[in-house]
Amino acid sequence: MRTTRLRRHTSRLALIAAALLCTQVQAKEPGADLLQSKCMGCHTAEGNDSYSRISHQRKTPEGWLISIGRMQVMHGLQISDDDRRTLVKYLADKQGLAPSETEGVRYAMERRLNTVEQFDEKLSQTCGRCHSGARVALQRRPAKEWEHLVHFHLGQWPSLEYQALSRDRDWLEIALKEMVPDLAKRYPLDNPAWTDWQKTRPKAEVLLGQWAFSGHMLTKGDVRGEMTVSAGQGDAFKVQVEGTYADGTPFQGSGSAILYNGFEWRASVQIGDTAMRQVFAAVDGEMKGRMFEAEHDERGLDFTAVKEGKARLLAVQPAFIKAGSEAELTLVGSGLSGKPDLGPGIEVTQVLESSANQVRVKARAAADAAPGLREVSQGGLKGPSLAVYDKVEEVKVVPAFSIARIGENGGSTPKVQGRFEAEAWGKDAKGQPLRIGYLPAQWSVEPYTEKAREDEDVKFAGQMLENGIFMPAGAGPNPERRMMTNNAGNLKVIAQLEDGGQKGEGHLIVTVQRWNNPPLP
Amino acid sequence: MKHLKPLNNKAQILEQAVAQDRVEEVVAMSAVAGCTATTDPGWEVDAFGGVSSLCQPMEADLYGCSDPCWWPAQVPDMMSTYQDWNAQASNSQDDWRNLGTVFPKDK
Repeated sequence: MRTTRLRRHTSRLALIAAALLCTQVQAKEPGADLLQSKCMGCHTAEGNDSYSRISHQRKTPEGWLISIGRMQVMHGLQISDDDRRTLVKYLADKQGLAPSETEGVRYAMERRLNTVEQFDEKLSQTCGRCHSGARVALQRRPAKEWEHLVHFHLGQWPSLEYQALSRDRDWLEIALKEMVPDLAKRYPLDNPAWTDWQKTRPKAEVLLGQWAFSGHMLTKGDVRGEMTVSAGQGDAFKVQVEGTYADGTPFQGSGSAILYNGFEWRASVQIGDTAMRQVFAAVDGEMKGRMFEAEHDERGLDFTAVKEGKARLLAVQPAFIKAGSEAELTLVGSGLSGKPDLGPGIEVTQVLESSANQVRVKARAAADAAPGLREVSQGGLKGPSLAVYDKVEEVKVVPAFSIARIGENGGSTPKVQGRFEAEAWGKDAKGQPLRIGYLPAQWSVEPYTEKAREDEDVKFAGQMLENGIFMPAGAGPNPERRMMTNNAGNLKVIAQLEDGGQKGEGHLIVTVQRWNNPPLP
Repeated sequence: MKHLKPLNNKAQILEQAVAQDRVEEVVAMSAVAGCTATTDPGWEVDAFGGVSSLCQPMEADLYGCSDPCWWPAQVPDMMSTYQDWNAQASNSQDDWRNLGTVFPKDK
């Protein structure tokens, strides 16, 4: 029965996205045994703990999850959710990527879906027409395995040869003869970085303890606080977050985490009523990555944390001050002590609060303080810088390009919102561009093109709220629009600074929903 | 392009875009992670970095495109992988609300 099969697939896949974060790794069988019992129906043993296809690839936890999910959907693998979690953990540990191998492409795991990718033309045209280039760059294979992947794509999606940037050339020939050797060279299975990481990979226990964190949530502001990591089972942890936003809103909650491959931290934390995920790289006493809402991954914050015991200055919030003004600044870090030094022309007039993780001060910038970056230091610790500015020269909308999606209206896909902030830029004393930071702005949208004006995209595509949040309209054909078209739109996002009135522009595409939303875009 | 004349609106827009040297703009938008850059038409953006040349409303011709897996990364392909994706939505224009996500978010 076709319907039954659909239901079966849907229910299986419903759990896939959740699987990486579910830390109840209660294996009935260890990973190595599961590999035998679940995979050897199709794959073959090659001796010496090597298995066809499987042993010749390395991937992120998300990559292995997609692969096993694909085995379920396409090849009829029957596996329980618990067993799949065990298997993903086993494979991600055994055949993962070294931290350095993920550099520059972590945005895909972090769900930064407005990232404009920077790959060469060949990779973009061969792979990046349908999915992110990062999905490729987060895998390691020898030539033979990249070749298998090309054949798999053509077999599973045969019409890819008729797509644009494919039908105008000998796609298969190019993919096999040019891309395969290129990928095998760029993203090889054997790599000294991986060999080294396997030797030096720290034990999960090193993460236990207190962490000080600093973050910034677009449209909400800076956030800071402490995160406590306590022991769970094996590489699983309990997590407690105690923080506040700069405006005083609490940022508190608890959850659980699992560590893959010695550094890939994945947590599920309930903050108030909101389920959030953490995707961090935990290396050398630091965690870095993104924390985002499970249901709305467009709502997220950049996150850095440093472990207690390693004295470090992490951030200053806000990281700017206007010449001739007084402001409250908070230094975030670990092992902080002593009075902070904010550099020439900036005087700390009062220490309002001081702890090992946070020092809150009142600071005054002299009217003639030279515009530019100051190195912030505290008791011998250095790191963050403070921008001193005299005037705003330019405003950039962040993100400069972004995608929002219509949704809901009775359908199954949530709306994907736009989230914007106004990034102010000035000039330093030498006339060089100086990034000041995010300043309060008033928000509006306009048609991006004449066509968008004719089609009344501003009226139909959604609403720009006053805090820089764009709320897209409902999904489905709209009888009020010409040709009953969707509530898509091509919009200019305009920020006007509340103080000074300078304007900046961004580009927002409001587009249709997607139904295929795997862990890696 | 010297010997070719645009016959319809879309072709005229294309010619204008080339004339206005807007090619870079197009490349930037279609390289957003995970958005299809397949330009005939794209799923989320068209060849001009906008939405006016997309197949819209997409419900009108959705299965004509999902059947031959035209946007396999955005729309479940019904040729090989998700043959029964539209079992509960035989008329996409009326039943689109019954279409489900194949990789839903965490519950």
